[in-house]
Amino acid sequence: MLGDSSKAQEVFHTTLREAALRAAQGELPREPFWLFRDARWRCLDATKTDLQPESLDLDEHDLAAHVASQIEELEPTQLAVWISGAPDPQRTALALFYLDEFDYQEILDLGELKLNELSRLLAQGRRQLQAWLDAKRPQQGTV
Amino acid sequence: MLRLLRRQRALLNCAPISHDRLADSSMRAAVARADDSDEFRNQQNFDRAVAELVHLIPIPPETAEWFSEKDLAVGSKWTWRKMARNPAVLAISIAVVVIAGVSVFQVLSGLNEFPGSATARKLLTVAASTRPVMLDPVSTEAETLSDLFFMKHGLEHYDVPAEFADFRTIGCRVFEDEESRRIAQIWLAEKRMQLFLFPAERNPKTGAVLRFPGWRYVHQEGWAGAVTERNGVCFMAALRGNEKDLASYISKTTAQ
Repeated sequence: MLGDSSKAQEVFHTTLREAALRAAQGELPREPFWLFRDARWRCLDATKTDLQPESLDLDEHDLAAHVASQIEELEPTQLAVWISGAPDPQRTALALFYLDEFDYQEILDLGELKLNELSRLLAQGRRQLQAWLDAKRPQQGTV
Repeated sequence: MLRLLRRQRALLNCAPISHDRLADSSMRAAVARADDSDEFRNQQNFDRAVAELVHLIPIPPETAEWFSEKDLAVGSKWTWRKMARNPAVLAISIAVVVIAGVSVFQVLSGLNEFPGSATARKLLTVAASTRPVMLDPVSTEAETLSDLFFMKHGLEHYDVPAEFADFRTIGCRVFEDEESRRIAQIWLAEKRMQLFLFPAERNPKTGAVLRFPGWRYVHQEGWAGAVTERNGVCFMAALRGNEKDLASYISKTTAQ
């Protein structure tokens, strides 16, 4: 969500501290994913004051059959930065989906999205990532 | 149709990376339909590769120590309410209730069954339709008719039990039912009660009499019958009314 480990750590600890305080006061919400919802809003808040990426119409490509090998060439942090650079709610959708910890209904709930929105955001994200990977490969080839 | 296809397309775009997260039936159906398509296979390969890479994103050690080996998010728990709303669970529950109801009904019906109960019920119908003119007028004590049945009709052991032996009779007859069994019928003056004597049921293979202890009750069309078996012959006392009316006769005479 943040693409920056120090910021992520700060949000994580703030979220936990707040949760501990609420637990001590017996004020923990009853809904199951409140902690993740809380963390998400803190992440969005933390990046509000940052420099925002230019709103560009990114290229989109169809998913390639050999995409797995293209992704393997990526560094994990590159992917983290790419996802964190996406505008919200696409960033939330991609982060929650690829964490592979939630089913789609839980993502809809957490991200406050509708099925069609989530579907569009994920499909678009895949095609944009594919285009980015396609654009990266020739560069890597020349290094 | 178009809407359905659009929804399926939307579900496929959100198809889980791990198959154990196929949360609901609509998602399972959508995935099952698309499982063979190249496009969906590419998507799944893409998602798997990205998810693997996401798990390699380094977590600062101060944060990592908070995580155990357990899942980050525990899946939504099954609640009774959620389970009760599941159409499959609902359908199975209804089916189980119906089956249980039928079984209980059969068990309760079975409790009232005994060898000869079907014949006894038929004879209650006969009792309801019998008129006094149909019987030979005989005014005597019921127990003496045993000799008449034996000497005139050759019916052995067609004895009236002690409980009903002293009642005065109005008439009697012997007739054959549809299975050619010979039935003795006695009309009493007492509450226009009717007595029936008929062969007890037998085991079709061995021919042995199917015995049952004590008195059993049958009911048919507003009539009640108290049935007992002795020496291979069933005796039934029948009257218009209910079990209670008959029970008083049996308990009264048994107590004497």
